[in-house]
Amino acid sequence: MSPPRVAVALVEGDPSTYETRYVHDVYEQIASHFSATRYKPWPIISHFLSELPTGWVGLDSGTGNGKYLPLPAERPGAVWTVGLDRSLSLLETAKMAGGVTREVVWGDVLGKGWRRGAFDYAVSIATIHHLATPERRRLAVRRLLESVSSTHGRVLIYVWATEQDALSKRSIPSSRTDICVTEGQDVFVPWVLSPSMPPQPRKSRRQEGHQSKPAVGPDTSPVPARQKFSRYYHMFSEGELRRLVEYVANDLCLPIGRKEDHPVGTSGVEIVQSGWERSNYYIELRRWGL
Amino acid sequence: MVRLITHNLLACHAKGCTTNNFPLQIKDAQLALREAEFNPDFLRGFIPRIEWAALVSAARQLGDESLPNEVPEMIDDDFLRGLHHVLLEIHIDEGAMVCPNCGHVYPISSGIPNMLLAEHEIG
Repeated sequence: MSPPRVAVALVEGDPSTYETRYVHDVYEQIASHFSATRYKPWPIISHFLSELPTGWVGLDSGTGNGKYLPLPAERPGAVWTVGLDRSLSLLETAKMAGGVTREVVWGDVLGKGWRRGAFDYAVSIATIHHLATPERRRLAVRRLLESVSSTHGRVLIYVWATEQDALSKRSIPSSRTDICVTEGQDVFVPWVLSPSMPPQPRKSRRQEGHQSKPAVGPDTSPVPARQKFSRYYHMFSEGELRRLVEYVANDLCLPIGRKEDHPVGTSGVEIVQSGWERSNYYIELRRWGL
Repeated sequence: MVRLITHNLLACHAKGCTTNNFPLQIKDAQLALREAEFNPDFLRGFIPRIEWAALVSAARQLGDESLPNEVPEMIDDDFLRGLHHVLLEIHIDEGAMVCPNCGHVYPISSGIPNMLLAEHEIG
């Protein structure tokens, strides 16, 4: 099978409405199949979660099927990650990720339904690239920095890169038409549901002790031959994620750098690492201060 | 899922609601008790992160009077087991959380709290 074609997208109209159509509604429909293909944690994310002190509580903003909620694998239960997502269908899977009851919240990554600084850490994996304007992407980063402790909060962000590795199944349009307007590239990525890939039920859930509910949603009605969905992505160019973080830190009056290099009594944020891994850009941050 | 560990983190974020927006009041709760693996090391690390008064009042709203008003100085196994039960084994499967300040209602359905706001409610 040839790799799915990625097409250039043009964001028009209200960005929230646009995301509803090209992100949220799509994930609702492809949730179970999508979930079945998302199970391998990426190394840098696993490592980030492995290093967290026991007793920390964190936020997975845009948790999807919750594949990071059970980590760290070698110390299960050492930290407690709450999963947030816009897709209720994905959360239905996430709430039993790894076969253990998880904490999940239906909400928006631009919301702030937490007490300020409630979390010790936050991860945002493959989520911010679904936001359709630079302002909304900045707000998402701001919400992450606000959600964690101002004295020790750690943040890890992953987004899709315009630079895709050789193993990637996707071919990216090479021509750019918007070079002088924005950074990165807005694209549609297809998702095809066909009869050979039915939305399969995930591993059976244990329902002892209480009545199981009738399934909600598609049941025995015939599956259309092939359903194609287009998901919106903003693919980040080199350095764009870092500049986004710098912009937000400046907005929050947080100097960027190491605690040791700043006067006692100030607050700031350190960029611990940033780079490219497997077709994605990532950045790891640590807040420091009072 | 909504257990009290999560309730202790949630706050109202409706437009203009920035004070007295925590903790959310639990209403019409349908509870289920489900055993969870006891992890004393996690709990010891987590205790300083808890808004204790909010946890005690939320537990009492759910009919659990077991927690002391203050975190004891001596953290022993009995205390940790009691805390474990309150934080991690009491599930609010259905119900709602209501903001003490603005009255905004966040419904809970099938154990999932709905923290989404309508467009005009976003601050």
